[in-house]
Amino acid sequence: MTSDPTRQTLDALGIRSEEAVLALFADMRARFEQDANSKTDLDEVAWTTLRNAWLGRASGIIAGITENWLKPAPPDLKRVVGKALNELKARVEAALEELRVRTEAAAERRAAASGKTDLSLPGVPRVLGAKHPIRQTFEELEKIFLSIGFTVTEGPEIETPYYNFEALNIPEHHPARDTMDTFYLDLPATAGGPPGAPELLMRTHTSPVQARTMEKQQPPVRIVVPGKVYRRDNPDATHSFMFHQMECLAVDTDITFCDFKGTVDYFVKQFFGPKVKTRLRPSYFPFTEPSAEVDATCHICDGKGCRVCKFSGWIEMFGAGMVDPAVYGFANYDAKKYSGFAFGVGVDRFAFLKYGIDDLQLFFQNDVRFLRQFR
Amino acid sequence: MKILYNWLKEFVDTGAVPAKDLASRLSFAGVAIDAVEQTPAGELLDAEITTNRPDLLGHYGVAREVAAILRATSSVTSGTSSGTNSGTRLNAVEPKLHEAAEKAESAVQVEISCPDLCGRYTARVLRGVKVGPSPDGLRQRLAAIGQTSINNVVDATNYVMFELGHALHAFDLDAIAEHKLVIRRAQAGEKLRTLDGVERALRPDMCVIADARRAVGIGGVMGGADSEITSATRNILLECAWFDPISIRRTSKALNLRTEASTRFERRADPEMAELASRRCAELIQQLGGGEVAAGVVDLYPRRAAISPGATSSIELTRRELLRIMGADVPDGEIESILRALGFAPARTDANRGSRDSLVAAWKCARPSWREDVKREIDLVEEVARHYGFDKFPARLPTAKQPAARMPHAAAQDALLERLLALGYEEIITIPLVDEKLDAQFRAAGVSPATMANPLAEDAGVLRTSGAVNMLRSLEWNLNRGQRNLRLFEIGRAYSLRGNKPREQQILTLGLTGQVREKNIYEPARPAGLEDLKGDLEALGELFGGFEMHPAEAGWLQAARAARIVFSGAGLRGNAGGDAGADAGADGGGDLGMAGQLARRLAEEFKLRQDVYLAELALEPLYDAFTAKRAAIHYQPLPRFPAVERDFSLLLEDGVTFGRVAEIVRGLAIAEVQGVHAVDLFRGGQIPAGKYSLLIRITFQSRQATLTEAQVSDFSARIVLALTAKVGAALRSA
Repeated sequence: MTSDPTRQTLDALGIRSEEAVLALFADMRARFEQDANSKTDLDEVAWTTLRNAWLGRASGIIAGITENWLKPAPPDLKRVVGKALNELKARVEAALEELRVRTEAAAERRAAASGKTDLSLPGVPRVLGAKHPIRQTFEELEKIFLSIGFTVTEGPEIETPYYNFEALNIPEHHPARDTMDTFYLDLPATAGGPPGAPELLMRTHTSPVQARTMEKQQPPVRIVVPGKVYRRDNPDATHSFMFHQMECLAVDTDITFCDFKGTVDYFVKQFFGPKVKTRLRPSYFPFTEPSAEVDATCHICDGKGCRVCKFSGWIEMFGAGMVDPAVYGFANYDAKKYSGFAFGVGVDRFAFLKYGIDDLQLFFQNDVRFLRQFR
Repeated sequence: MKILYNWLKEFVDTGAVPAKDLASRLSFAGVAIDAVEQTPAGELLDAEITTNRPDLLGHYGVAREVAAILRATSSVTSGTSSGTNSGTRLNAVEPKLHEAAEKAESAVQVEISCPDLCGRYTARVLRGVKVGPSPDGLRQRLAAIGQTSINNVVDATNYVMFELGHALHAFDLDAIAEHKLVIRRAQAGEKLRTLDGVERALRPDMCVIADARRAVGIGGVMGGADSEITSATRNILLECAWFDPISIRRTSKALNLRTEASTRFERRADPEMAELASRRCAELIQQLGGGEVAAGVVDLYPRRAAISPGATSSIELTRRELLRIMGADVPDGEIESILRALGFAPARTDANRGSRDSLVAAWKCARPSWREDVKREIDLVEEVARHYGFDKFPARLPTAKQPAARMPHAAAQDALLERLLALGYEEIITIPLVDEKLDAQFRAAGVSPATMANPLAEDAGVLRTSGAVNMLRSLEWNLNRGQRNLRLFEIGRAYSLRGNKPREQQILTLGLTGQVREKNIYEPARPAGLEDLKGDLEALGELFGGFEMHPAEAGWLQAARAARIVFSGAGLRGNAGGDAGADAGADGGGDLGMAGQLARRLAEEFKLRQDVYLAELALEPLYDAFTAKRAAIHYQPLPRFPAVERDFSLLLEDGVTFGRVAEIVRGLAIAEVQGVHAVDLFRGGQIPAGKYSLLIRITFQSRQATLTEAQVSDFSARIVLALTAKVGAALRSA
């Protein structure tokens, strides 16, 4: 390396003319191209060696030229040396950068070929929870009703017979009370109190919130009421003594049966899908008139008939109707001025149908293997 | 109610309509037909009759609906509104009796002493009847509708009940003492053996049919055993009466005795039908068993004016009301033919009655005795609508008039849920009726639970006062099924009574057990500890302005591993309580709830063989705090100068807490102290007993300038000095 020209000044090398300078740089460039081309199977180490040889800060060739050729160059050659040096440096840098990209790509190809990366291995597990399917169903229903102007409200689960029955036009001894087997609370006898102390019960439906809302608010009323309800039924695959309902009530000066039909159809389609059709069958509830059972075409088989719809193509959804004017009497609404509709959706039943669940108890056993299916 | 198609056809001409089609049309007119079956007596329709329609508990009433379904409307038959209806009509029931010279009145004496319970009583007398088996055709029909054939006389009463919907009872006249009946209240202590052989204890609010000596039947519910029709019976007293619905309901409930008769009377039978049904039954008995019918009928009808308003009252239906409720019109011809077929005898009364489909059209309608459920205009609207067809009314969405709102706490609850899910908690929903004894273990002193008077099961006898029992049951369920690593939460309610006033509070319950991290190829397993529950609670607390936990005592949590939870900065105001959080927060500034490790004793009771960590929080105060916390968020400019960290390895006495150390550091009020973190803790080894080593990392940062080495050294010296002076901390050389 003692003969390395970059360790000597131009003067020592006997370079005096511009032509000689250019010839010298041409030699250096040829030397670089040879160095670079000889490294065709570049790995990172070889590249670093090449880079250090040419661009190393202290002992690189470019640094040597700067130090030994440029700095001591006579004034008449300085400009041409500087220009040639810059050109050489630019070429070296560009070529090295290009080599680096190729080197890295080659490294990646080698790594891929080695088979050491197993993308089928799971990543670091992250534990995430899930909302209960009943909550998911409530949220979905709420969103649908919010989108058509219904406000969400709630009420107590421990109720008085007045709100649960009387105010809904179900007087004592009404046969409809038989269809809703009721839990009553065991209340401490109020010492010295009047006989016939107020009774309390577990609400059998979310409908008491109708009366509670109408007591406080004049029409227009548009509410939905999600919540737990209780019936004294022995638990089995389709019964539970606690289940969930969502009540819907609209009262205004211009609500008709047509609005009722439209609302029912809209929300059932939103929930089960646009292909689902609804129909109404006349029925009877003490708090609605006219009353109807709402059926929808089976969303599983599109109404063709399957196990879920018992091969009828239709599924019974919920009871509904126009608010019976007697109910307005309890709310001090003018029954001649206002009309409305009401219905109570069985939320567990909706979740049941949507997810094809066949046992109501699954909702309340909270087996995580069940819950995690609803992530 | 089971309906034989052949039987229906005796009252209405259905032409060539197949049973299946008729079933479907009945369903869409409000008589729900669940199934159509083939029986030896022909096609059978299984109908579900709503409680408001006792008139449909007989074939004749259903035939009337069929007539309305198969109506011909005047709009089809003619252009006039007079509407000569040439459609299907209901045939009249006109029994023909061969009456003897003897008069019914002279054969029996009847007296009603309780007209409030028995509004009408008719009695017919038949003599010389030959009691025997019924003919095959009749037996077949009864069998098809699920009735057992007894003998021709009893079968006749049943047959007529299912035909006309009115219950009857046949007595052996010779078993009636002095041929005298008194309809009265039962006497205190009175007993009667009913037809089913059971001796019934009667109460004075029950209506009995008695002879001169004793009760022979419970009115409207069941007859007595010793006056029943036997093969030896020759003379018959045929009862057909009307009993008060509420009284029958009460009696039937008290005796736990539900019969075809009581079902009809408690829904309010047609008082006008009593005499006709009696005549029809006498006719049938005569056909089946011969004999002679005494002339006429004993018919006491003390409450006629009250229970059968009949011709004296009417209801008006206007098109305006129909439109107001239904939102779309029904043509005159349809309105009139429907109402006529159902027996409402509509007659236009408005000034425009010459013009069809007038907007001001009004009809005066009769109130048929069999339709007590139709009293108001809205009832007529429904009658028209259901027969016209619900499907004919167009669907539309109501106009919205107000912005819709979610529950006031919805945003806070969403944030809470989102965070719980991110922390890995699965949501559970449970039935809040639990075992009183278990719930009591988690209950704060002074809280009275809401107890069920009629629980279904002992382990579901009270409403929970905390979510702990439900949470532990859910953990237990999963552990028993091999699911050992659990993080569960429930957002629900806790219930209690204050005197007779119910209280319902929203609560959050957390349950944690097993490993918080299962072994995987990158990391070892890590079992859950109290610190995990605390970390989760801190992450939740962040939503509400921060939580602090302070040592507390609660019977359901392990000693020294129990904490009460308060808002940050509220620690000094709170007072230790032992309840599961349900009562928290309500008193303002108090405990928000409790957290800790489940006491061993309870873990055993719930058969939980691994450590369980529980927390419960009252949600109302959190929801309130959420709003305040959101409102208090203000942007802080980011620091422009670098932070410097310094570690301090401290040797501390056991009992000197990290909280105390941090408090001392912060107490120096060095503005540049940005954070005090515990990064390592150990005991044993070179550390003497009764002491422990705590490594704390303090972050210094200035908002004004880059800190110099001299400044940081000065802060550090002051910190060490203070810790040494206040808690005797010694600095260990690292």
